[in-house]
Amino acid sequence: MINNKLVYAQKTVQKWGKDMEQKRRVLVIIPAYNEAENIVHVVRHMMETAPQYDYLVINDGSTDNTPDLCRSENFHYLDLSINMGIGGAVQAGYIYARKNNYDIAVQMDGDGQHDIAYLDKLLEPLIRGEADITIGSRFLEKEGFQSSATRRVGIYFLSGLIWLVTGKRVMDVTSGYRAVNRMFIEIYSKDFPMDYSEPEAIVSAVMHRGRIKEIPVQMRAREGGVSSITFKKSVYYMIKVTLAILICRMGYGVRRAKREDV
Amino acid sequence: MIPATLRVTLIAVVICYFIVILYFLKKKALNLKYMLLWLVAGVVMGVLVAVPELLTRIIHIFGIQDNMNGLFIFAIGFVIMILLSLTSIASRQNQKIRTLTQELAILEKRVRDLEKKDTK
Repeated sequence: MINNKLVYAQKTVQKWGKDMEQKRRVLVIIPAYNEAENIVHVVRHMMETAPQYDYLVINDGSTDNTPDLCRSENFHYLDLSINMGIGGAVQAGYIYARKNNYDIAVQMDGDGQHDIAYLDKLLEPLIRGEADITIGSRFLEKEGFQSSATRRVGIYFLSGLIWLVTGKRVMDVTSGYRAVNRMFIEIYSKDFPMDYSEPEAIVSAVMHRGRIKEIPVQMRAREGGVSSITFKKSVYYMIKVTLAILICRMGYGVRRAKREDV
Repeated sequence: MIPATLRVTLIAVVICYFIVILYFLKKKALNLKYMLLWLVAGVVMGVLVAVPELLTRIIHIFGIQDNMNGLFIFAIGFVIMILLSLTSIASRQNQKIRTLTQELAILEKRVRDLEKKDTK
């Protein structure tokens, strides 16, 4: 009898624990610039498969009918009146998350490249307190959409550069699929890199002693529309991001003490 | 030495410069904050034109032989400094606009949500 009760009590506690975990408030930030072709599908898919999480579409001053779609579909969305680039859009999401006391914020592209099915995997280390930032990485298991060879070379170069300046090896530095805990919601809402922000955000995360963990995910080629990074722009992108990483690193001066890595 | 005719021209130019600046100030087309920089520039120019020996001496300290060359070098250096400060002003404003746009969007969403609640 007593034993039974004990087991029951234990189970209840476990259940409570689970409930507590699920009660972490999660906000999925979906930046969208001229994503009329994809956004409805992406958000609807998310609402169907992961309704327990809040989402926020951020219309980054689109010139197509992205904002109209958001309105008519009755989505939760922010409407930035000026196009600010992905960094500014995502930061608006972080500010919103901070003001509305979310525990975890997730960045996910609005073009259908990122699969919502991996969201739980991304959240797990954050909920268990093992990491401050998780990054969905294409290159850990090398499955799914791998991007073109030239782009991979570029990404590998940036990865090396970030390793050089911070001592942290992140494979998929340009992945825009990442989740951060409350600590980094605060940090990013106050200071977030401007344009092509993903690699730079990693540097600033390491410098804030953030624990970064990469999670293997599969990405898809975009479902429609045009990627914001055309081939023409990629040379400019590489130069700019390289400089941005170096400047960002310099901004933090002497190397900060590292927290125990996960 | 700077030739006399050139000095007259330079004095005229400096006077015109001050008139333009004061005109802008009066029209409030420029903030006094940024105006200070230009006013200081005008004063420096005025002093150099009024006392050209000063210019010669300063230029010789830097090892520049020709007076006119020295004048140009100083002028270009000054223009570069002003451009730099303008860039920094533009960057700061850019940052402010960014914050404002984000705050505006968040407020706009809040208004929308409140309106929705009202109609319910």
